[in-house]
This record gives sequence, C-alpha cells and structure tokens, in this order.
Amino acid sequence: MSAAGRTVEHITCLGCGCACDDICVVVQHDRIGEARNACALGAAWFGDGSITQDVRVHGRTASLEQALDEAARILRAAQRPLVYLAVDLSCEAQREAVALADRLGAMLDGVSSGAAAGILAAQRRGRAGATLGEIRQRADVIVFWGTDPAERYPRFTSRYAVEPRGLQTPEGRSSRTVIAVDVGAKRGPRDAAARVAVAPGDEIDALGVMRATVQSRRATEDERFQSAVELARRMSAGRYVALVADGEPGAAPADGDVAEALVTLAQALNAPTRCALVVLRGGGNRSGAEAVLTWQTGFPFAVDFAPGYPSYRPRPGAIGLLAVGELDAALVIGSPASLPEPMATGLAPLVTVAIGPRVSAASFKPAVAVDTGVAGIHEGGTAFRMDDVPLPLRPVLTGPPTAAGTLRSLRERLGA
Amino acid sequence: MSAPSQLRISGGTVYDPANGVDGEVRDVCIEGERIVAELPSNVPRLDARGMIVMPGGVDIHAHIAGSSVNQGRRLLPEQHATDPVPAPRLADGATARSGTAGTIPSTFTTGYRYAGLGYTTVMEAAVAPLAARHAHAELDDTPIIDAGCFVLLGNDEYLLRQLAAGELARARQYVAWLLGATRAYAIKVVNPGGIARWKSGGTERDVRGIDDPVGSSSVTPRKILEVLAGVANTLELPHPVHIHCNNLGQPGNVATTLQTMQALAGQRAHFTHLQFHSYGGERGKGWKSAARDVIEHVNAHPEISADVGQVMFGPATTLTADAPVEHLLYASTGRKWVNVDIELETGCGIVPYAYRQQAAVAALQWAVGLELFLLARDPWRVVLSTDHPNGGSFLSYPQLIRLLMDRTYRDEQLKRVNQKLLAGSALLDGLAREYTLSEIAIVTRAGPARLLGLKSKGHLGAGADADVTIYKDHPDRAQMFATPRHVIKGGTIVVEEGQLRRAPPGRRLAVRPEYDAAVTKDLKRFFQDYACVSFENYGAEPVS
Ligand code: SF4
Ligand SMILES: [Zn+2]
Repeated sequence: MSAAGRTVEHITCLGCGCACDDICVVVQHDRIGEARNACALGAAWFGDGSITQDVRVHGRTASLEQALDEAARILRAAQRPLVYLAVDLSCEAQREAVALADRLGAMLDGVSSGAAAGILAAQRRGRAGATLGEIRQRADVIVFWGTDPAERYPRFTSRYAVEPRGLQTPEGRSSRTVIAVDVGAKRGPRDAAARVAVAPGDEIDALGVMRATVQSRRATEDERFQSAVELARRMSAGRYVALVADGEPGAAPADGDVAEALVTLAQALNAPTRCALVVLRGGGNRSGAEAVLTWQTGFPFAVDFAPGYPSYRPRPGAIGLLAVGELDAALVIGSPASLPEPMATGLAPLVTVAIGPRVSAASFKPAVAVDTGVAGIHEGGTAFRMDDVPLPLRPVLTGPPTAAGTLRSLRERLGA
Repeated sequence: MSAPSQLRISGGTVYDPANGVDGEVRDVCIEGERIVAELPSNVPRLDARGMIVMPGGVDIHAHIAGSSVNQGRRLLPEQHATDPVPAPRLADGATARSGTAGTIPSTFTTGYRYAGLGYTTVMEAAVAPLAARHAHAELDDTPIIDAGCFVLLGNDEYLLRQLAAGELARARQYVAWLLGATRAYAIKVVNPGGIARWKSGGTERDVRGIDDPVGSSSVTPRKILEVLAGVANTLELPHPVHIHCNNLGQPGNVATTLQTMQALAGQRAHFTHLQFHSYGGERGKGWKSAARDVIEHVNAHPEISADVGQVMFGPATTLTADAPVEHLLYASTGRKWVNVDIELETGCGIVPYAYRQQAAVAALQWAVGLELFLLARDPWRVVLSTDHPNGGSFLSYPQLIRLLMDRTYRDEQLKRVNQKLLAGSALLDGLAREYTLSEIAIVTRAGPARLLGLKSKGHLGAGADADVTIYKDHPDRAQMFATPRHVIKGGTIVVEEGQLRRAPPGRRLAVRPEYDAAVTKDLKRFFQDYACVSFENYGAEPVS
C-alpha cells in the first residue's frame, strides 16, 4: 500500500445516532489517518482503527475454537442466561444474537433499556414523527426541549434540523425559528432565537398546558405557565414544527410521563399544523437493535425467551433481574464500554461470555472473551440511523473475526 | 450432485384453473423444485385420494415486512403479549424460531403462518425506497414464502419535479432505475399527490380529486397516475402499476375511483383494496355502498384488475403510506397513532383498529367487499385480499372463503350486522352466488399469479414452481382452508399431515429494468442538494 494511503468514501459514522453517511476515511498504513467530515465525536469514534484481537478463556490466550467450545459449554450449562446487546454491532450480528437468545431460552436485553422511557411512551400513545431529512425539508419552527444537541449529536443541527436548506426552507436557518426550552439545568441551544424557561418540577404541567392551548381548551391562568401558553401558540402558527428531545439517559433516567407528554403534544399539534417529535438517540446502531428485536420477536427490548417464546419484561429488564440474582450466566455482545454502570457491576459475579470490540479488556472479566471488530469500521452490514433509516456499513479496515460470523459459529455449536 | 427429489401426489382432486383443470382426479408430479409432466411409477408417493389439490396460494397485496410494518409491530406489545407463538417442531431437529402474532406477527411467525395456510407467495405492498434495505432484511427473516416488494412512488419529490418540468423521459428512467436499486417487483402508487400535500403543511392537507394541483399546477394525481401507469406498461413490467386511489375510506369516494379508472382507460392497471374506494354518500352526510358502480366498470374493462381488500370483523391494524387518512382516523377514534413523514418520498400512518359487527360503517365496509366479490364477473381480475392487516389478518382468509362459498352462512352473518347503512346494498337483494372451488383457486392463486405476471406460480403445469397445497375436503370451507393437510414449497414438503415440518428460506422476486445511466447524474445532483443519505448508500443492494 502506498504511503499516500487510500480514501474510502460514503462511510457511515456510528459515533452517535445521526449516522452521518458522508464520511471520507483516509487509510494510511492500515490505520485511519483521517475521518473527513466527521465531528470531534465521530473522529474519536473512528479513532485510528486499531483494535485488540485477543481471544481469551479464563484469562489465558486461546484459539477461537477453544473459546467457542467453552462459550457453548457455559451457555449450555446455564440455568438462566442473559444475552445482552451493547453497541457497535451490525443488524446482521444483532439478528444472530436474537437467534441465540431464542435457542437458549435467555433473557435478551441491551443498552436500549436506558431509553425505555421514550420507547414505552411511544408504545402507549404512538408517535408523531418524521425521518430527519423531512425536518430539514420542512421545519420552519424547531423547538429544542431541554436539550442542546451540540455535545452529544454534534452534526444534528448542521445536517438535519437547523442549518441546511430544504424544499420549504430555502434559506436554511433564516427560514426557521429556533426556540430553546431550558428545563432547569437542561438547556437548549445557546444560539436559539428565543428561549423559554421551565422549572423541572413544572415540566409535565407545562406540556399539559401547551397541549390544552393547542387544542383550544381553556388553559391555566397561572402566571407560571404564560410563556408555555405563548410557546404553544407560536408552535400552532408554524407550518411544520419539529419538537426535539433527547431520548438517551443523562445522569438520571428519562421520565416516562415527560416522554408521553411530549408525544401527545406533538400529536395534538397535527390538528392546527404539522408537527414531528424527534427523539435523539445515541450511536453504535442502538436503533438497529430495537428494529431487529421488534421484527423477530414483536418487542423492541427486554425480551425474555424463558417461557419458550418472546415475552416482554421491560420492568425489571436485565438490570432488575441481575439485581435480584435471577441470572447465572451472560453472553455480552458489543462494546463493553457502553454498558450502563449497574450492568457492568451486576455482571461481575456471573460467568460471562463476551463477544465484541475490546471485550478482552472488559471490567467484568469475562470467562470467555472474543475480540471482534467494530461494525462500520472493521465489519460491514446494516445499521439504522436514530430515525430508523437503514444504512449500509462498509469495512474500511480488516480486523479480527466479525461479531456476526463469531455468533454464527457459536450458534452452530449450540445447534441453533 | 444428487438426483433431484421426485414426488408423485397421487389420486387427488386437482383444481388448476390456469390449465383448465376443474376438479379432476389426477396425479401431480414434482421433480426438484418444479412440476413435471410425468415421472416413473416407482417414485415416492403422497397419497392425496379424497383430497383437494391446488397450486400454492399467492397473496397479491399484504403488509408483512419493512419500516411501516415494524412501526406497527412496535406499537402492539399488548397484542404480542397475549398471542405468543412457540417455535414449531421441525423435522430432523432443524431449528425454528419462536415469535408473536396478533395482527402483525413477527417475521418468522409470518412465514410459518402463511405456509400453514397454504400460501407460498406474498407481495409486500408498500416499501418506501429509503427503507427498502430494511424491508429486504425482514424478508430475509421471513421463511418459506417467496416475496416481492412494491416500491412507493407518486409522492416523491424527484418524480414530481420531473413532471412539473415536463421531463417525462427522465421520469421514466428514474422509475426504471429505482425499481432495480430497491430490488422491487412493481410500482405502487398511494394517494398520488395527497401525501406530498400532507407533508408540506399548510391548510390543504390532502388532495380531494384527481385534478387537484400538487405544488405545481402541472402536477396532479391524474398526471402522476398517467405517467406511472405508462412507465409500467412501457417497461413491460410483469405487474402493472398498483394503485391505491385518492380519498381512501371517504364517503362519496366512488367518484374519484371511477375518474381514476377512466383517466387510465385502455391502460393496464391494478386497483388495490377496491372495497375502501367504493363508497357513495357524501362527506359529513353519510355513507352508502357504491360497490355496484365500481364493479360494473371493472367488469366492462378487461385491461384493469383489482383486489378487494375485504374487511373482516375483529381486530386489525390500519397501516398505510396514506398518512392523512390515518390522521383522520386518529382524530375520530382517539386511538394510539403513529405518523412518520419519510424524507422526500412518502409517509406512514398507523392506527390499531377493530371492525365490529355492530358498528354501522364497519358493517357497510364488510358488505361492500362482499358485493364486489359477488358481482365480479371475471374472478381472474378481481382477487382476494384483506389488505392485511388493514381489513383483517391474512389468517382470516379461510373465513372469507366460507363467506364466498356458503350462501346460508353468509346470509346468517348478514342478519347479525348493523343494518343502518346497508340500504341500497346488493347484498340485501339476496345475492345468491356461491363461489366454486375452482373460482376460489382463481381468486387465491391462479388469478393473483397471472396479474403479477408470475408465470411459474399459481398453476400446476409442467415447469411451474412446485408450490402445491393439499386440503382435506370438508363442508365447512373455513375449516378446510385454515388447515391444509400438506403444503409443498419449491418441492419441499413444508406442511406434512397438518404440521409445519420444514422451513426453507424463500426467494425474492424482483425486476431490474434497463435504464439510461444519464439519469443517475441528475439524481446525484438532486441528492447533493436535498437528500440526507449519500446516493451511494441509497437503495437495497446487498453490502459485503
Ligand atoms: S454527528 Fe454523530 S454520526 Fe455524525 S459525525 Fe458526529 S458522531 Fe458521527
Ligand atoms: Zn395495503
């Protein structure tokens, strides 16, 4: 390979749920030299593409065959196994994982449980939504509800919601009104054209007042909510409103009632105008896991196969079952760095098999660890943007065995 | 290579209307994946004496895979929780998958249940191009059945622009390219122009008739339909343009439906779920049946075809690209509702629903569907569907077949439904027709296969795919059609003695018309200006 390297175009970044697919990766000496167009978060996600390639059984280096044999033995012996989906997996790997969980009669859960509030709210009420490109084309009023995408979804505003020109927004940002709603310390974008402050304790009431206003019902006379009433009127007067909220957990898990109130407000706005609620989601193909689980089982996360068929257990979920000591073994798939803290600690006493990027260094010390590549960097396949738009993944580097292939070998060993 | 497996289905009463076989006792021979004319007498036999033998069922229109279907699944955890499906036990210890059912079953369960019903080919009727990759991934997880995708056109910005600019040649090239890029089988038009209006905001939220302008004065539903019907016919696609008319579900929409048919006079076109488009009356003033007017037009015009989209009483999930209709349904029922505007292309709306015998409109819809069936003169052109899961689940097909075949049963049912809107319905005049087994074989397999241009499906002649369904004759036709004794798919016995025993993967049915590559240059410009995915990442070509 020449020192000048090669460039690979139209690569999809899974650094966050924006899944920008315009990345041009420059490869030099089998390392990623540059990920053009990527934001800082994306550049960090690509890194230089180097990855550990260890296979370990009880801490010792082993062959892949030995590791898979031991993994199969552990999982076969388990009374109550967990299959846990972390991030950086292709849909193809996720499909294999669900097949394994089905075969094992396992509890199947993953990082999606962190976004449970929004998922369950949408199951109770539905959703008024749009793919991100439609926000670009149409939205003339954009309300960021207690979230500034700059940090966790850096290119969201430049690619989708604010800056770009669209069919009905020929002047980009100047064709739109951006409004920030600051919910306590959760602040909207700094450069918004207008701001509304809502006290965290008033959040649900404010959303209720706004919905009443949109539906021309008598809202409150309370001074506290006057700015919410005005905001609702402003939204009703828009041609196409985007309401943007963060679906991923911060320090505290999202509130289910708030998530539901956002859904119903967005739905109600479709009487006087058009409105789409955008729920921001993190990277590593989380949305893909929910799509795959839904098509294979009927449920997006927290699926328990113990009865011999998929049953839905969002509460307690895997974390809850771990806490009460119900699980005795785990197959953890994907990047362990994405495990929520209670999961990482809850796994420590269990015998675990880990298959995924850098699992040989996982804090929970898996009994069997098979390092794989990162989907989108070393592995091809399919991933979903946060709005469920499917995108192809093309490997830019060769790496260790793929997660999908490793899982398939394990499945064959288990007769699944 | 091992010799292809051979099987003689012997002594069954065969209904193979495409080959003029109407209930004759004869053998059907299979070698490998195909039907053959003859086999030596010593090959393995499947004893079908006293049984009814038909080609495998062909569903011309259902919603079984893809982004909208999956949004629907996600919306129905309570249905899935109450309808779990353990993995079937397959022969030779082969692995099968568990799942859940309800009105939108999980993918594996969908494949098993279609096969269990004797259906071996199903068309997924609404795939947004942007999400085609998703639909194909789900179909990869839907075993047994051969499946094809209809790709949604007619509200997509690129096409509407070409029409506005009078660039008809380029529009044709674009459609040809898109069919291949999305690995689709046919062109689907849903509420032409109406979804584009819904997405653009403003006061006009839908089109009302086929001459309403959409954005530009030169773009109307009529224009969109003419162009897309023309493209399908010029490209000689196996299936003509598959049309979901404007004003679905509205009282008085018969006018729009007939205008649409007249607009395409002389052209091949397929009108889907015709029942939802055959209402008289007036907006805000009430409903009545207009089935007679619509079906008479269909009867008189051999170039057009339809599927009925029968409504069956019980749970359903309404699920369509026709998003403005779903907003109306949400507003009037207060049920949960999903809307997804799909960038630059189309929409998606979902409302879970239930058709109740005692509800006046549901009873009217049920009656309109049956009128269409019973007044249709040519079963080859008016075929069976429930627009699964919109009018009811595909699992209700056997019940529907009984309604068509058994007048006594039908009349009993008719007495139980709300009569309020039935005045003027031909059903009340005592339509006496009873479908014969041969006619059922036409509307459930031979007809749809012919309308889809699937030359090796829907019949049992030499060279046909060895997709065969064998029923135990039973006077209760619902029972008979719900529980086939044996089902053979591509030469593999998938249902044996009433049990699902094998679940081979199905094949994908797709077209790939030629196109002039110049169109992709223009498309790339359009993508650069407006799209949020790279042109190179669009479509559904498999990735490494
Ligand atoms: S915004 Fe997200 S997807 Fe896009 S480049 Fe940054 S991290 Fe990657
Ligand atoms: Zn349909």
